[in-house]
Parts: sequence; C-alpha cells; structure tokens
Amino acid sequence: MAAPLPDLLESIIGVAPDSALSRLRAVRPDIVRHTQGSHDVLLSPADPGGLSLPERALIAARVAEASGHAALTRHYRSLLTERGKPPPDQRLDTIQQHVERVATAPGTARPAHIEALLACGLTARDIVALTQIVAFVSYQVRAAVGLGLLADGPAP
Amino acid sequence: MRATRFTLEAVDWAPWLEPVAAETATPAQRTALAASPQADSAYFRTLANDVDSLAERSPLFHAVMYVPRGLKRAERELATVVTSIINGCIYCSSVHARRFVELTKRPEIIRALYEEGLDTPLEPRLRAVVDYAAKLTREPVAMTVADLAPLRAAGMDDLEIHDLTNAVAMFANANRLMQTLGEPVSPDSATSGTAA
Repeated sequence: MAAPLPDLLESIIGVAPDSALSRLRAVRPDIVRHTQGSHDVLLSPADPGGLSLPERALIAARVAEASGHAALTRHYRSLLTERGKPPPDQRLDTIQQHVERVATAPGTARPAHIEALLACGLTARDIVALTQIVAFVSYQVRAAVGLGLLADGPAP
Repeated sequence: MRATRFTLEAVDWAPWLEPVAAETATPAQRTALAASPQADSAYFRTLANDVDSLAERSPLFHAVMYVPRGLKRAERELATVVTSIINGCIYCSSVHARRFVELTKRPEIIRALYEEGLDTPLEPRLRAVVDYAAKLTREPVAMTVADLAPLRAAGMDDLEIHDLTNAVAMFANANRLMQTLGEPVSPDSATSGTAA
C-alpha cells in the first residue's frame, strides 16, 4: 500500500500520529480520504478548466478568511502567494462578489447571479467548481473546529 | 413557484444551470452519478458538470450521513435540519426532516423547531445536539471546549461528537450548493415548469 498523503486537517489541528484523535479519525477512513480528495480536486485539479489555479486559491482564501479560521486562512493565503494573485478585472470582481454571497448569504442567490457569471465567460463546469470550493471550505472550517475541540478537550 | 416555507412535505429543486443529461453523460460522470444518493436527480446532474468534485463529494456525503456506528442516524438527520433552518435551505430541511421522522416517528419535534424556533423545549440530549449544531453553523470559530460539555453530559462519546460535527459541516456544504445552483420549488409548479 502506498504511503498516506499528508492530511491537511490533521496538520491544521496538529493531530499527532497514533494519538487518540488520529485513531478516532481512522474509524471513518472514507471521511478522511474524501475530505482530502475534495480539497485536492478542487484546489489543484489536473485540468482547471476556466477557473485558474490562482483563482481557486483566492476563492478558498476568501472563504476561510470570512469564517475567521486563522489556520485555514494562512494555508490558503500561502497557496495564493505561491500561485500569484490573479489580475483584477471585471470578471474577477463578479467571481468575488458571488463567492461572498455563497459563503455568507447563500439564501440570497438568484438566477441573475449565475447569468452574470456565464456572461463573464465561465462555463457550467466552472460555476459548479467555484460553488464547490466555497461549499467545501465552509465544510472544512467546521470539521476543523470540531476536531480542534476534541483535541483540546478530550473525553475525561 | 419558489417554495418559501420550511415544511415536512416533499419539495422539488429546479436548477439554474443545465444539468448533465443521462444520455450524454461521460463514463466518468455516469460513475460519479451512480455513487450519488440519487443518480437521476437534477441536483446531482448539475453537480456532474464538475465531475471530479462530485466523485469525491458523494462518497464523503455517504460516509458522513450513513456509515454505521457512532452517532445515531436520526441525530445526524436532526443536526442537518438545524443547520438547514439556520442557512435557510428549504429543500435540504424538507428532505432531512422527513428522514428524521421516518426514523423516529416524531414529527412533533420538527414542527416545534419550525414553528417555535430552535429554542423550543426539547429533552436534554436533543437540546445538546441542536445547540451544538446551531453554534457550529453560525459562529464556528467562537466555539470552545465548553461547548462539548452538554454533549458529554448527555452521554455522547468522542466518535458520536465527531459524527455530529461532520454532519453539521456537511450541511454547511450542502446548503450552499443547493441554494446557489438552483432553488426549491413546490412539486406542482416543478411539473408545470418542466412542461413549459
């Protein structure tokens, strides 16, 4: 069997190998595998389509930052620095406005917002990927917080 | 017509993007759809536009919601209803409220949450689930280890708390996809909308 890839959530929380928390996560191997797998295909897809790798890092960094999660914000900001900030233009503005909406007020989205993204040249695949990135980081922040609580306050 | 009320009735969902059609799906899209809770739903066919993320998300969703042991399924469903109410996701709350009722035969709990709000009186263990789900949804970074105390007092072990956390987190995800790639519609209007 191949050596396990580094697990982002465990490194964010600081879960030691063979700790109680590491063993607890191992009870749910599919959650561990597909949480990391989702991160990898969304942030570093082999074919990014019309949503560039810098844009993907920017979106994730913004969602982490809006949530207030310091460690995940650092992770995605450093990925963004590595990739370089995407050049500002109207397309990027439209993307960022939609990211803000999906992250903080998803109930206010309407068809016109999707039409605006299509009008900027995003495809259906790009729009789903953008939405999945926002949705994934929203998941990841809460999974990280819950794991952190179990790390800091183990059962008596 | 857009559905605007939380309900225990079935609600449909109408996409704002063209879903992948079964007849033109690639082999990878067919595989990812087959691993999704409902391969033929407009929602999963919309997500199939970005096939690699769907291929990771469906097994993640399955593991979070349905894998045996740990937190009882009904309590996972309840947590996702709480998250969906806070995020305003009428479709998600309808589906998972009905699952909770199928498992528990206790529709009165859902009605109380819908009609009286999340502060409605509940037995201690359900109260602990609702409070943890609500805070993790609304202000995750404000949580402290003190937020685990009511769960532990209600008898939850770490695996159950882990499962509860992931159910809430999964619906931070689901509610965003569901509300921004399409909208909830009442079943009759969905039929006429398709015909139109």
